Amino acid sequence: MKLRTLRTCLVWLVYAFLYVPILVVIVYSFNDARYTTEWKGFTLKWYSALAANGPLVDAALNSLSVATLAATIATVLGTLAAICIRRYRFPGRKVLHGCIYVLTVSPDIVMGISLLIFFIAMGVQLGFWTLLVAHVTLALPFVTVTVLARLAEFDEQLIEAARDLGASEWRAFRHVLLPLAAPAVAAGWLLSFTLSMDDVLVSFFVTGPTFEVLPLRVYSMVRLGVKPDINALSAVMFTVTIVLVLLAQTLTRTRRK
Amino acid sequence: MRTKLHAARAALVMVGLALAVLAATLFAGPAVAAEEKVLHVYNWSEYVPQSVLDRFTKETGIKVVYTTYESNEAMYAKIKLLKGVGYDVIVPSTYFISMMRDDGLLAKIDKTRLKNFKNLSPKVLDQPFDPGNEYSVPYMWGSSGLMVNKKVVDPASITSWNDLNRPEFAGKVILSDDQRDSLGVALKALGYSVNSTKEAEIKAAYDWLKKLLPAVRVFDVTASKQAFISEEVAAGLIWNGDAYIAASENKNLVYVYPKEGVPLWVDSLAIPVGAKHKDNAHKFIDFLLRPEVAKECVEEYNYSTPNVATQKILAPELAKSRITSPSDADLKNAEFTNSVGNALEIYEKYWEMLKTGS
Amino acid sequence: MTQRRPFRTASIAVVWLWLGLFALLPNLGLLLVTFLERGESDFVSLVFTWDNYARLADPVFIRILGESLWLAAASTLVCLLIGYPFAYAVATARRGLRPWLLLLVVIPFWTNSLIRTYALIIILKSQGLASDVLLALGLVNEPVSFMYGDFAVFTGLTYTLLPFMILPLYASIEKLDKRLLDAAKDLGASSLRAFWHVTLPLTLPGIVAGCMLVFLPSLGCFYIPEILGGAKSMLIGNFIKNQFLVARDWPLGAAASTIMTALLVLMIIGYWLSNRRVALRERKGADTGAATAGRTPDGMHGEGEAGGDGMAHGARGRA
Repeated sequence: MKLRTLRTCLVWLVYAFLYVPILVVIVYSFNDARYTTEWKGFTLKWYSALAANGPLVDAALNSLSVATLAATIATVLGTLAAICIRRYRFPGRKVLHGCIYVLTVSPDIVMGISLLIFFIAMGVQLGFWTLLVAHVTLALPFVTVTVLARLAEFDEQLIEAARDLGASEWRAFRHVLLPLAAPAVAAGWLLSFTLSMDDVLVSFFVTGPTFEVLPLRVYSMVRLGVKPDINALSAVMFTVTIVLVLLAQTLTRTRRK
Repeated sequence: MRTKLHAARAALVMVGLALAVLAATLFAGPAVAAEEKVLHVYNWSEYVPQSVLDRFTKETGIKVVYTTYESNEAMYAKIKLLKGVGYDVIVPSTYFISMMRDDGLLAKIDKTRLKNFKNLSPKVLDQPFDPGNEYSVPYMWGSSGLMVNKKVVDPASITSWNDLNRPEFAGKVILSDDQRDSLGVALKALGYSVNSTKEAEIKAAYDWLKKLLPAVRVFDVTASKQAFISEEVAAGLIWNGDAYIAASENKNLVYVYPKEGVPLWVDSLAIPVGAKHKDNAHKFIDFLLRPEVAKECVEEYNYSTPNVATQKILAPELAKSRITSPSDADLKNAEFTNSVGNALEIYEKYWEMLKTGS
Repeated sequence: MTQRRPFRTASIAVVWLWLGLFALLPNLGLLLVTFLERGESDFVSLVFTWDNYARLADPVFIRILGESLWLAAASTLVCLLIGYPFAYAVATARRGLRPWLLLLVVIPFWTNSLIRTYALIIILKSQGLASDVLLALGLVNEPVSFMYGDFAVFTGLTYTLLPFMILPLYASIEKLDKRLLDAAKDLGASSLRAFWHVTLPLTLPGIVAGCMLVFLPSLGCFYIPEILGGAKSMLIGNFIKNQFLVARDWPLGAAASTIMTALLVLMIIGYWLSNRRVALRERKGADTGAATAGRTPDGMHGEGEAGGDGMAHGARGRA
């Protein structure tokens, strides 16, 4: 029993560690000072500034759309890659596996510049699609490594049984492997989304003159000072996410009932 | 089995279609038209206030599409790789103008189309990095000066960069994480030029910094004003715009122009050689040169304006402050940072040595 | 297997295409650049040289690499020590609660990392939140600052990298069969022994995955140690960035990146090889009684696995 209370304590502590800085961000969105680290007084002006700041909101929406799509594609591809590496033998398998690790280590600047050169050589216009490709490539190895770990202890006999019963590879994948790997696939999606929302250097090189994303805009503010309207934006995004999560939770709960 | 085959085939067709659409969008070139009413500005975040951009659009009908970069170096690499195509207005700092000009990445600016060019102060024009201002128009400039906390020493006694070595500042000095800035200050302290290309002088600057190193608490990346305001540091290098804000927050902070001179920087508007809307770009630059527009820009950030007409109508606190409106005496030995060409490798080498403590 | 397997072929084709195009090709290009010379007007000039690697055989670079590796390893350890118990707690929580607990872990990280770092500065600075709390509790007598030191750096790194440890760990721990633990307890094992001999080996793939997903990217995470640590040292991440952007010496930066990558891949291979040796040894002696659950060393996945899978064999043998 003591172990259980200790565990609950730890969980709360870690959540506190994760959320206290977010609370600070939200509180400082009401800060009546032009730059963000000294508290001067309460004000709502940054929220009205945010509402008037069209480009900032656009950048946020751009980031969200790229992140969602990139996470989904990366999860699909990453899971497929994990399955291929884990279950099939084919020429170049080890090279592929190595590629996954190389991608994880690759410094952002290297990836950004090499992808830009690639896109220029292909004559591709920079913008949403190039950003999408870059983010998928960035996130893919994280999904693969996570899913591979989950499949590590996987009992091959289950698949054998399914095949013996007449299932094709696809059905075996869909009805045996996928449900078993589901938590890892979900974890992979979450990781990919997080990576995409915060990527600066790779995004900088592969995006175009018409497509601005949020992390670029924020990091670019560093030179002149980060104003609290970013805090206001973060607070709004955070609140919306929490509301959506709560909504989803109540909906699934009622469905189960 | 049969339904599965159908499903597979349908899926393949859909994938094929999707790929075709993707290819079409990817390889579609930009629509060509007699200069459309759009302008692609590439700049630091909000360096031009949104209200100014909105006013420009309202007046001219030209839509401003504003994307950002976080450092000159990154912008330079990207523009060079793109061969100057895609963006219409960029805002390089000081020596990046000469680098980009030498690389053929900038288009000549037609000054006959800039009626407000005459507002600019000759002190900022015709610099070594762009003689005759053929490729750039100054937007904002500033200095990297010495800030001290008067609780620790009497600011009147601080007159030289070498004063950073004073024992009262031990462990509370802040320098810039930009190697040209910090090494430049060291070069100034020793009486050399910030644009020195001589290895012996740069090595001397490295030795100067190395001697100071035990006293250094921070090499600032983003938050020097915060470090000064919360008194984590007592003396060091800071840009004048940040200094203005810090000094207004913490009354103990004083900005000093050391006698050896301060490094100066200027951010200028330039047009990449492959820009598709050069006409709109000229209109935009001319708009920014209007006194009241420049006033709005510069008051947002507390840096110094190169626009003489703006200086006359500047808010009194800014006009009277030595931080934002230095006198000629303050700038006696000041120098703009210029390109050092291949000597940059020497700077980089000593900077690495400094940071790795060897 | 002579029957056609469209799923298998399609999967392999798609994965190969994507990775080949966007990962293999650019990295081969990078490798090529490491053998070229720095260009005068262009970024590189097509002149072959070994010079870039020679210049990196230099104590300055080795010190930079060493310090970065140490920082990465230390933060990985911290993340592991915090992340494992947390992931365990979440993975063994009530089934319906688990996805939400996991989601709650990730949501803070959808706030921009620079803003979160500024929030950390507000907490850690002199007269910041941490200082105020300590003063209020009477633990200190005057304002204290946590900024610009190792503590701030580790806090910042852990804060950024924790989900990359927790999520893979969770995915691996979640499939742990509780019955195995019950069986161990029935056989008389204490909680500690059960953990050490059952839980830990079985979740080892997750541990390795988490460590990899923290250690490897953390080498590129130099911005946060810079802001919170005062940038008094140079890390491999900004050394490489400087070469590409400031010094504009692409070949040198590419060479540094290649050396770093090669080093890490070698470590991974070394780890995998050592596990295979353990696994083979265990398998030889495993015929007597150990529960190898009908695992046949078939050609499908017996050899040639790196990372997670290699250890699974070893772990199974050890249990």
